Amino acid sequence: MHVIKTFLVVCITYLMFASQAWAYVGLCCAHCGGNMPLNIPGGGIPETHEFRFKVSQMYMYMDSLRDGTDEKNYSDYGPSTAAGKYRGVPKTMDSWMTMVGGAYSFTDDFAAMIMAGYVRNSMDMTTTATPSDYTMFSQGATDTKIMGKYRLYSDDNLAPKMQLSTILGVAAPTGKITIKNTNHPSLKMRGHLLPFGMQPGSGTWDPIFGLTYQKIADPYWMGANFMTTQRLFLNDQDYKKGSEYAVDLYLMRQFHERALASFQLNGKAWGDYSDEPKRGKESGDCHAMLNSTRDWMTPLCDPTNYGGVNLHATVGLQFQPVPLQIAELNFSVPIYQNLKGPQLQSDYMLRFTYYWEVPTKNSRRYKGFSAPKELGF
Amino acid sequence: MKRSSIFYWLISLIAVLILVSGPAIAHQDFLEKMGVALPKREKFAPDFNLKNLDGDTIGLKDFKGKTILLNFWATWCQPCKEELPSMQKLYTELAARGVEVVAVSIDRDNHGKVRKYKDQYNLTFPILLDPGQEVRKSYFIMGLPTSYLIGADGHLKGFISGARKWDSPASIQMFSQLLPSGIS
Repeated sequence: MHVIKTFLVVCITYLMFASQAWAYVGLCCAHCGGNMPLNIPGGGIPETHEFRFKVSQMYMYMDSLRDGTDEKNYSDYGPSTAAGKYRGVPKTMDSWMTMVGGAYSFTDDFAAMIMAGYVRNSMDMTTTATPSDYTMFSQGATDTKIMGKYRLYSDDNLAPKMQLSTILGVAAPTGKITIKNTNHPSLKMRGHLLPFGMQPGSGTWDPIFGLTYQKIADPYWMGANFMTTQRLFLNDQDYKKGSEYAVDLYLMRQFHERALASFQLNGKAWGDYSDEPKRGKESGDCHAMLNSTRDWMTPLCDPTNYGGVNLHATVGLQFQPVPLQIAELNFSVPIYQNLKGPQLQSDYMLRFTYYWEVPTKNSRRYKGFSAPKELGF
Repeated sequence: MKRSSIFYWLISLIAVLILVSGPAIAHQDFLEKMGVALPKREKFAPDFNLKNLDGDTIGLKDFKGKTILLNFWATWCQPCKEELPSMQKLYTELAARGVEVVAVSIDRDNHGKVRKYKDQYNLTFPILLDPGQEVRKSYFIMGLPTSYLIGADGHLKGFISGARKWDSPASIQMFSQLLPSGIS
């Protein structure tokens, strides 16, 4: 939270002092009409010597369980104290995630980016306790991504038909992994670790690698993006989250000078957790009767009940309310899900993103382009 | 020579200098107001031949003897679109006096959209198509919109980066003074 607050203060302070740089905005350089959906990392790379800020609010709703490709009812798994059943079973989940990002382009080819987030998760549970139903809740900062985007190839700087870029970065462990239960109906369960899925962080420094291909054939913009977050190290609780792989394919059509419609296919594969938290082994957190030798209290506590593959279809609308600012609305639904173990499945996702560019005094949009000396200037 | 004669000649010289330099200073003023970068050494504008929306080939030589506003734009460039109506007003006002407006669209495809803008804004000045970007590159265009002022002698007289109000009094005065006949 402290990181996000600091970041917001820096952004607002900068914007206050940067307002004079808005004096000259009469140029647009290849990015007019948008270039990528804003939900894709690196979408909306700023012009050279310009800042870019992005604020995104995402809502995800997860409903009912899935094992493999089969939909399951929560009653298939409990709640029950019988062997093979769980004492607590998730029914639905609401997740609100706020992302704030900033980027600066040092050259035509290189931009540095930082993206922080804050998440609030509410999971409706049914349990063997009395009362049986309650909402498990957690909130906190997510891991912060620090990345550099480097343009490997562009066939033209002003009006490119094709570009290829790479992203290298790291996810810093700013998200907590030790958030505890505060409202379980059974008082003795309070103060113990929440399951993995409710923890906003990974607890590890994770390398990020990405590759982005962009193609432009006015009025169409299309491309593919691959990104992976590798989980190589154990965290303080002696486990690591599964590595993640994402592939996004997008097609955008500019149907108005200030608006584009987009369609995306977003594929994701992610692994399970390597082990239960150290605290679970020591104190029995997440085990029945808080005894580490007993079964898992809920399917959420089993580190192997994570991971899988899914594919979402996303429709979006991107528009420019005023010059240098872009708003985007996306709606996603799953078209394929293959999940390990019983897991809550994705139902739909809504995302609103607001993006704005801030030219500095060194920006070409502020000072204009230099007249060419080759023509006598 | 009498002191009064020297004084007379000195006053006359100052008066002549003021008369001669006045328009030049005013000329510089208008160029400065319009944010025009002046050439250190005047060079001929690079020659070109491009097709217009009707498929006819038009070259820079077709505008020989005229003062030209050569503008580079694209349909995906919002500031470019915003300055088109003012370019039309400039053309309407000064075409008869020898000012030509030539807009080069660098759109690679989608020439229907260029035609749409031509119709939407009733643009009557020549619009040429540079889908291969050859002319854009020969004029070292790095951002849009960018314009050049070309004198009646075919020399580059100025470089303008970004959008302008081409129908503003300063612009009209600037073009008036660039005409071979000067101020009218």
